[in-house]
Amino acid sequence: MAVLEGAIVYSNLLVLLSIGLTITYITTGVPNFAQGSMAIFGSFVSLSLWLLFNIHPYYSLPVSFILGGGLGIAIYTLVLKPMIRKEAMVVTLMIATLAVDLILLGVLGAYSDTLAGITSKGTKKFIFTPMDFKLAGLDAILVVSSAVILLILFALFLLLYKTKFGIALRASMENPALAEIMGVNVEYTRLFSWFLSGSLAAVAGSLLPFRQEIVPATGAIIIVSIFAASIVGGLGSIYGALIGGYIIGMSESLITFYLSKPLGPSILLYSKVVSLIVLIIALIVSPKGIAGLDIWRKMTWRRSTSS
Amino acid sequence: MAQEYLLLDIILWFSIYLIVALSLNIEYGYAGIPNFGRALAVLIGAIAVGGVVNRILILLLGIEGRGIIETSGTLKSTVNAMISQNPLLGLGILVLCLLIAALMGAVTGALFILPSAKLRQDYLAITLLAISEVLFLVSNYNTSIIGGYYGVSIPDVLAFVPGERRFLAFALLGVGIALLVYLFVERLLTSPYGRLLKAMRENEDVVKAFGKNILVLRIKTVALGSAIAAIAGAFYSLYSVNVIASTFFRVDWTFFPFLMLLLGGMGNNRGVVLGVFSFVIVKVLLIVYKFEIKSTLHLPFEATWLEYILFGVLMLLILYYKPDGLIKEKPVTMTPPIKHALKQKAKETSGR
Repeated sequence: MAVLEGAIVYSNLLVLLSIGLTITYITTGVPNFAQGSMAIFGSFVSLSLWLLFNIHPYYSLPVSFILGGGLGIAIYTLVLKPMIRKEAMVVTLMIATLAVDLILLGVLGAYSDTLAGITSKGTKKFIFTPMDFKLAGLDAILVVSSAVILLILFALFLLLYKTKFGIALRASMENPALAEIMGVNVEYTRLFSWFLSGSLAAVAGSLLPFRQEIVPATGAIIIVSIFAASIVGGLGSIYGALIGGYIIGMSESLITFYLSKPLGPSILLYSKVVSLIVLIIALIVSPKGIAGLDIWRKMTWRRSTSS
Repeated sequence: MAQEYLLLDIILWFSIYLIVALSLNIEYGYAGIPNFGRALAVLIGAIAVGGVVNRILILLLGIEGRGIIETSGTLKSTVNAMISQNPLLGLGILVLCLLIAALMGAVTGALFILPSAKLRQDYLAITLLAISEVLFLVSNYNTSIIGGYYGVSIPDVLAFVPGERRFLAFALLGVGIALLVYLFVERLLTSPYGRLLKAMRENEDVVKAFGKNILVLRIKTVALGSAIAAIAGAFYSLYSVNVIASTFFRVDWTFFPFLMLLLGGMGNNRGVVLGVFSFVIVKVLLIVYKFEIKSTLHLPFEATWLEYILFGVLMLLILYYKPDGLIKEKPVTMTPPIKHALKQKAKETSGR
């Protein structure tokens, strides 16, 4: 049961990260390799608030959300936007996000050392699990991460389908050139997507230490799972990110757990191998991900013709 | 003494990184394949030395011990003693290591690029990065392949060289290997094959229309590039007389080669040499004066983090202000075949 709980928590966080990755991919067309480090930025925000002001990580979520959003906007406006203006190729933009990832790693590492100096506590590695408590017989992290997911999905749904900005947003995701002709400012939608991506990543990062130990380089490791989740779901679809996040999160935790029974606990180290295998299978079977499968088109087509 | 040491350090890193950057230039600079998993081939080179050649030697010499980590320690002292008596043995092991590394690199490279059959450029880059990252994690955590983060010992193939000359000998050896690789790559890429790669980078459909199989071309190219990168990994391991999986981090062996390539200018090997040289000087100076930098700037953190920030920012500046690099790629100029034939004929008639 504890394994399943852990798997759900991990999947919830992975969904937050892959939604962020997907939404910036849809609006700017660049896979963001810094997504993992953006999450670790959130972890350090929560750690600092805890060490310096004694604020429990759950209460620091709004701060993480806003600061993470700021980081997302900074990355877009300072790095990517000028390059997109110069009509840089996708691979160039990807290398740029790799560079951003390295800068973030350097900044987080430097900050971690500095923080350790100020608080005279070891902050090279940290974990929040001892701070967790029970809520209605369940680990609070399970309740909190699920609540965050539901809240964010609900808010996204309202925003995308019930507001004028949402219509403009969806239009510019579908076809930026056409949306621009119709008077939508595509720039706003890009800014918004980077804000959202950064803030979701930071929130996920604030909660991640409840499940695993964090070091400044953790971002470089979790990026594999984030990309696997987004690609399995289909990089072009937010729903895909949702499904992909749960598929990768669950298979990483559960497959390694069940394999560890006959093969011994050393197999637990291979969780990332599972996500790589799932990723490669997905790419072979359906390169556009689950959301790109033909079944959905057929289903919607049937629905539209029958009505 | 200190300056001599600094110079040798620069030469050694220049050779190692030049080999890696040249291999990436074939794949990304010429063929346009975004290999974000360069680190994998370098790691394979290290595995060829620490995992394969070590085991062959252990079997041949019948050395006993528990696990590869402990046994390789015994192996190292035994083989070092043998090499110091018999230099030819050391050179033999060196050649064996480089050959096995190149072979393993080529095979891994050929398998590694197979997903490109179905994937667009951006998806491909992600997949290659993921494969490389996962295999890095596996070899880092699984201590039975190459000792993981504990590492394994490697015999010193130049054990016959007296201790104070060892560094110089390795620097010269490195320069020699790098020079050979450079000449080979230069010759290869000025051939029709090099022009074919550039054509594939610019427009795949044209190459297809001329009846070339894109996938076969990619497999050949990445196999070749990975073989060369694996040689760099093997040489690096032989020099440092141990293999520690955690030193084959993505930043050092994928990001930095890309940085050197873009700094110098893609698609031409002279640019790569310049890029590698500039990068290595900055990097070695940063490593050597690490503590001085920390104390003079009163940094409350390790200088390594500063290095990451610096190189990250440098990469962004290059991408934005100088995307062609220091030396710009020149268009391929060739005498048209008809003129060439006429010239040839004129030569023949005048010779007669």
